[in-house]
Amino acid sequence: MSHAAIEGELAGRTVLVTGGTGFIGGRLAERLVLEHGANVRALVRNVAAATRLVRFPVTVIRGDVTNPSDLATAAQGCDLVFHCAYGTSGSQKHRAWVNKEGTRRLLEAARKAKASRAVFLSTLMVYGQTADGDLDETAPRRRFGNHYSDSKLAAERLALDISSSGALPVAVLQPTAVYGPWGPVWTEKVLQSLKAGRQILINGGDGMANPVYVDDLVSAMLLAAVKDEAVGEAFLVCGEEAITWREMFGRFEKMLGEERRTVDMTPEEALDYWRSWQRKQPRLIGEGLRILKGEREIRERVQSTREGLWLREMASTLLPESWQQKIKARMATAGRPPVPSSGELPIHPLPPKMIGFFKAKTRVRIDKAKRLLGYQPAFDFATGMDLTERWARWANLL
Amino acid sequence: MEANDRKLRLAVVGCGAVAAIHHLPALSLSRGAEAVVLVDADLGRARDLAARFGVPETATDIRSLPGRVDAAIVAVPNSLHAPVSIELLRQGVHVLVEKPMAVNVKECDEIIAAAEAGGAVLAVGLEFRFFDFSLLVRNLLHDGLLGKIRRFEMHMGVIPRWPFATDFLLKKETAGGGVLADLGVHVLDILLWWLGDWADVEYRDDAQGGLESDCELLLAFRSGVMGTVEISRTHNLSNTCLFEGERASLEVGIWDPDPQVRLLIEDREVVLAGRARRQEGSGTTFLDAFVRQIDDFAAAVRDRREPHVPGREGRRIQTLVEACYARRKFLEMPWSVLPSPRERVS
Repeated sequence: MSHAAIEGELAGRTVLVTGGTGFIGGRLAERLVLEHGANVRALVRNVAAATRLVRFPVTVIRGDVTNPSDLATAAQGCDLVFHCAYGTSGSQKHRAWVNKEGTRRLLEAARKAKASRAVFLSTLMVYGQTADGDLDETAPRRRFGNHYSDSKLAAERLALDISSSGALPVAVLQPTAVYGPWGPVWTEKVLQSLKAGRQILINGGDGMANPVYVDDLVSAMLLAAVKDEAVGEAFLVCGEEAITWREMFGRFEKMLGEERRTVDMTPEEALDYWRSWQRKQPRLIGEGLRILKGEREIRERVQSTREGLWLREMASTLLPESWQQKIKARMATAGRPPVPSSGELPIHPLPPKMIGFFKAKTRVRIDKAKRLLGYQPAFDFATGMDLTERWARWANLL
Repeated sequence: MEANDRKLRLAVVGCGAVAAIHHLPALSLSRGAEAVVLVDADLGRARDLAARFGVPETATDIRSLPGRVDAAIVAVPNSLHAPVSIELLRQGVHVLVEKPMAVNVKECDEIIAAAEAGGAVLAVGLEFRFFDFSLLVRNLLHDGLLGKIRRFEMHMGVIPRWPFATDFLLKKETAGGGVLADLGVHVLDILLWWLGDWADVEYRDDAQGGLESDCELLLAFRSGVMGTVEISRTHNLSNTCLFEGERASLEVGIWDPDPQVRLLIEDREVVLAGRARRQEGSGTTFLDAFVRQIDDFAAAVRDRREPHVPGREGRRIQTLVEACYARRKFLEMPWSVLPSPRERVS
């Protein structure tokens, strides 16, 4: 494997990692320390989330990726910067702002600190809704239509612009569906969602999943940090095999037992299901009544307004007793979510954009990463998933 | 009579999360003690909490405390437990020190000696002993209801959501250890309270040059009882302790302050399950335990008696923690193996 190619190149270097409390940044920090002997600094916003990261001798700097003074402290004396942090709290708009502005401010701090390179973790989603067939880095970038993907696209553009301006060499990685121990989206969330309900497989799940095991992605990031050819370039990072969503969800299904947790639908059926699910969602008035019923303090405050008191007075004097009972009964049931009629697990509805995402038979090419970085996935799907299953069992997720 | 009725005048030293979430709310409910001054190196933090909890005074160091207060709750970072407690105790200020009592046994000894020298009461903040369930389990075990205990297993794992005011817990120098020295001290302390002195331990954890976040113990007691303990701050576990005895098995929740207790009597097919409550409406929340802890401390000072958790108990748990770290073996997980181990930097 390609590690031999960079052996020793990171030893003793001071490396800043953002997102080190997370899935990818955490494993990156671990390997930088244990495998490469780098001096790792981690910018940490939430102390409670950092307990796993501090198993290794890393220097924790408490701060926020959007705070220039925290960034200046963190970046000072750093030779290399890996940017894995992204917005994970607050509104979607705020998260998008963190993704874009955090990247700009971090790279600016890295430039001021005279770092020799930054590696920015982008996403496959910068290609928007992808078409069937091969996809490589020459494909046009376009908005996918959600805050995460679109802000990552903006941040990636910004990073590449900074690199081409000569201010700071930057390499960009575009991972596909990253899975593995501690994976929040393509591991934990999949397992939790399969436990709580059934997953729709579009066209029997023949779309391409393009999974990549976390350690392969981390290897690509390490290569991008040291290979000269990486500067100013973006690289798709994916596993070697062609894996369908059927195989991907099927493997998670198998971890949970024999019971089928997936449902086949055509895109049209999935869209119909989405629409009917949407129609069943509580309307504003029903939901308002439910909130009033559940929150005693709010109910009392609303009832004690002048209008509220007047309405109650009117109702109790003018309405017949039977009507009053009906209103009370309605208050008691308003806005309750529909209860599934059978004992079967509910089907998770897919929003239209995700129907397109799961339908696409896009095969992500990794030729560029292989050619310029010397990237070679070391984990086939079976091995990566076996490790993931062992972890999930230990983590009480199965 | 009057002197006895006066509330214990107390300083809270260290205004981090445990002061804000547990000690100050408990003090505002306590019949035996009241906070009169809050001390923190960060005066802004002390003033914020003083305003929130109606505490009249604030200070940035402990030198002004002797003479001003009867007692102090020491809730500073772990590595400062010993120096702060020692200085206060020597001058006769009674101390309730947060867990872990100190970062090593030697420091525990020094704290105990300082309490003796100053003629002051020393209590250790191991509030799990104030939950109703922990007393019930102790009584059941001591009454011999289970018969001879064959084995036990304890599983304690929670993903932390604690709103840390500082990052002291992330550093070896200030925390003294990882999950064992933090969450582990609580659950191992009740285990020792239930089963007595420990005799031998095998220990594994996942630290690789830093602080462990998962650990496993194979623990033997002087009574001959053996069992396993699993502690984690990376994933949720059942948070229970199970005792298997010759006559009966007992399973109890150890994180929920009002847990299920299940007693299964062998051969009789009898299962008794319920909650362990001494009195309705108290003893079922963390706040209740902290109120009981502070009231016990105040009563110990007033009555010149030993507190419910004296210094030697804090020391005893530290002997176990220290032995674990000294005998530490690596707890390797299959998925943590590096993809190219031969290229590891030695």
